[in-house]
Amino acid sequence: MNHHPDLTVGVIQGLGWLYLLLGVANAFWAARSLRRDGYFGQTFEKITGFEHIPKAFVWAGYSALLMMVAFAHLATHSDAADFMIRLPEWFKDSVDMVVANPISYFVFSMTLFILIVLLRNWWVEPTVAWSLLNLSVLFLCLSMTDYDFRQIVGKPDNVPIVAMLYLVAFFTWLYFYKCRENDARLEQGLQPAEKELGESVLVWPDLVYSEMICMLLIAAILILWGVALPAPLEEPASAVKTPNPSKAPWYFLGLQEMLVYFDPWMAGVVLPTVILGGLMAIPYIDFNKVGNGYYVFNKRKFAVITFLFGFLPLWVGMIVLGTFIRGPNWNMFGLYEYWDVHKLEVLNNVNLSDKFWLDFMHQPLPRPDSSAPFLTQLGVILQREWLGLVVIVGYFVAVPPLLALTVFRKFFARMGFLRFMVMANLFLFMFSLPLKMALRWSLNLKYIVAIPEFFFNI
Amino acid sequence: MADKKLTTEEILALARKQKAGGGAETPPAEAPSSEAAPESPAPAPAPKPAGNAPKSTADILAAARAQATAKSAPAEESKASPVAPKSTADILAAARSQGATKPAGGAAPKSTADILAAARAAGGAAASLKPKAAAESAPAAKAPAAAPAGLGVKDMVAAVKQAQQGGAPPKLPAKPVAPKLPAKQAVPRRGILATLAAITISPFTLGWTSLGGVLGLWGLAMARFLMPNMVRELPSKFTVGSPSDYPPGTVSEKYTASRGIWIVNTDQYNGKPLLYALASVCTHLGCTPSWLAGEQKFKCPCHGSGFYITGINFEGPAPRPLERVGLSVAPSGLLEVDKSVKFQEELGQWSDGKSFVEVG
Repeated sequence: MNHHPDLTVGVIQGLGWLYLLLGVANAFWAARSLRRDGYFGQTFEKITGFEHIPKAFVWAGYSALLMMVAFAHLATHSDAADFMIRLPEWFKDSVDMVVANPISYFVFSMTLFILIVLLRNWWVEPTVAWSLLNLSVLFLCLSMTDYDFRQIVGKPDNVPIVAMLYLVAFFTWLYFYKCRENDARLEQGLQPAEKELGESVLVWPDLVYSEMICMLLIAAILILWGVALPAPLEEPASAVKTPNPSKAPWYFLGLQEMLVYFDPWMAGVVLPTVILGGLMAIPYIDFNKVGNGYYVFNKRKFAVITFLFGFLPLWVGMIVLGTFIRGPNWNMFGLYEYWDVHKLEVLNNVNLSDKFWLDFMHQPLPRPDSSAPFLTQLGVILQREWLGLVVIVGYFVAVPPLLALTVFRKFFARMGFLRFMVMANLFLFMFSLPLKMALRWSLNLKYIVAIPEFFFNI
Repeated sequence: MADKKLTTEEILALARKQKAGGGAETPPAEAPSSEAAPESPAPAPAPKPAGNAPKSTADILAAARAQATAKSAPAEESKASPVAPKSTADILAAARSQGATKPAGGAAPKSTADILAAARAAGGAAASLKPKAAAESAPAAKAPAAAPAGLGVKDMVAAVKQAQQGGAPPKLPAKPVAPKLPAKQAVPRRGILATLAAITISPFTLGWTSLGGVLGLWGLAMARFLMPNMVRELPSKFTVGSPSDYPPGTVSEKYTASRGIWIVNTDQYNGKPLLYALASVCTHLGCTPSWLAGEQKFKCPCHGSGFYITGINFEGPAPRPLERVGLSVAPSGLLEVDKSVKFQEELGQWSDGKSFVEVG
């Protein structure tokens, strides 16, 4: 379905400049490769018949190809509709299928996260990382030829989120890259690089100068950005009109996504407080002395993986979801999908008490009589919600000792009761989000404990 | 106590202290000192009768000052303002002139050491001349309290010890009193206005005043902010036309944008055809859902909550049904909405006769 003219000459030429930039960057990379990467091995020589070919040839050829593509874009002046270099439909459809469904989206982001951790020593290789960067830019460039993708990714509001994704990727790469070196050093019984090479610098002038340069650069970037991508002004706010979709600021989109699964009281107050308090508690519950002041992964696997799990799939992943995928009526839309206000998503969410009383006991839900005294009403409500309350209390009271006896046995011995309990409860709070999501998807469960009378829903 | 060589800085600090103690202001009302002043223009710092050297720099400076005033008044009449020495420069100048008159000085003193030597010599001479005046000027009992700040603690302790051993009143160095100014009228005393000005123009006052001013303006701005430029809430009771304007099975969005309600006519709630008004506020987090006629549901754009035409929640995170507001038929036969009352289904309030109008 083609709702809009897909491509305009302006877009094509803009993409041409982006391809040109990528081509130039790859020319530099080819120069670097010539100095560092050496030559192809014997198998290559046997297959192709060429001898003594530097690996940099591949990068040079790729760079030349990009520049030709850039030229093809820049030279286009008419018939944008016939422009050939664009994303194939089968690719768009398959991406939409994965992305527009919450289950497959989270399976995808979790898989990505697991791969990041498992393949850490492979993908931080500079050549591999550079190839991944190239792939991501090519993906962006090709996707930009799609109208719907351009509408959402090219929106001035959303440009910083794309930049943020690259920043997150860079810093994740930096972390694992440094860890690879230090892990190898520690295995050989050496000091970590930061200690042995003495990377500490003087505050004055080294640090202060760097900070000042950073400050100036950031100011310049912000000014350029403010001029180039003016913030969109919308119509005046009104209490009875809500834009559709209505999105929080990008940094709160993770919270907004949590609100889909939780009561506002939980997702808006309790969980953010627990997140902030938990982050502050990390230094106090951390019993591992290794890794103070240097990058290391192998000796702090639990700490790093737990943090990255909370940060990458649960926070950054949900910001991406909220920014690019949530559309009108807070439905999920594929990256290349038209934002149809009337997209139908059949959902019928029920509370655990409904499931228990209606489906299991085949009885009507106990309803408190609004004229009865308060304690009687409370009794009826507790009777109605007893299963959910038992589940919640069991989750926070019974699971930590179970964890201490099983998977976290060593942790419990080293941390002591109090610290372990704090850690285990923070851990359970973090996992309550994916658990609640899975329950929503699999059982259409709305609330485990639903007491709307007292605005208490979990 | 051995005479220590003092650095210029210490001398300056002491001189400053001395000045603060009794230089510019009127001397503290201490009877002995004011009595002693007219009698002896040079209060001697050193009480010991045998011409010993003065002990501390404070003494030296006081002596120098006294000497300077005493000499400058008669001898240097030609000078424009023979005022009391106010700054260390004056003191030093006085000491220098003193030194120059003495034969021991010979040539003009060149260093601070010379000046101090000269001053010491002069002070010693003065002390040996009039030791009694000094002793009188400082009664023994008062001596520790009246001891000038310039005196070291060790001096005092030594004096006290001496007194205890000897049983005699300790001969403490008298407080070097600011000399009686020979030309007191030369120092202009501040008037009330000038004093007030001096108080109000001090940096401290200015700082706090401006801070207070800024805070005051800020408070005014806050007060203005609390009264935003807005349309007051419309009256909560209003008529929405006759019941026949709302055919069965419809949701009217006519008053959604202006008043935040939907008027619904349906028989899906309890089988009877009912007219009721639903507040267009999502029970999850307060966004305005939109009525999707195709799907026959209210759908919230913020977190995806969905409600049937009856207002009952069925999808998304909304924990309870939409709220009804009051609806009744006015005597004129028109429907009247009362937004001041709310009816919540989960509290069993939808059976209240004020929450709906039966039609048909």
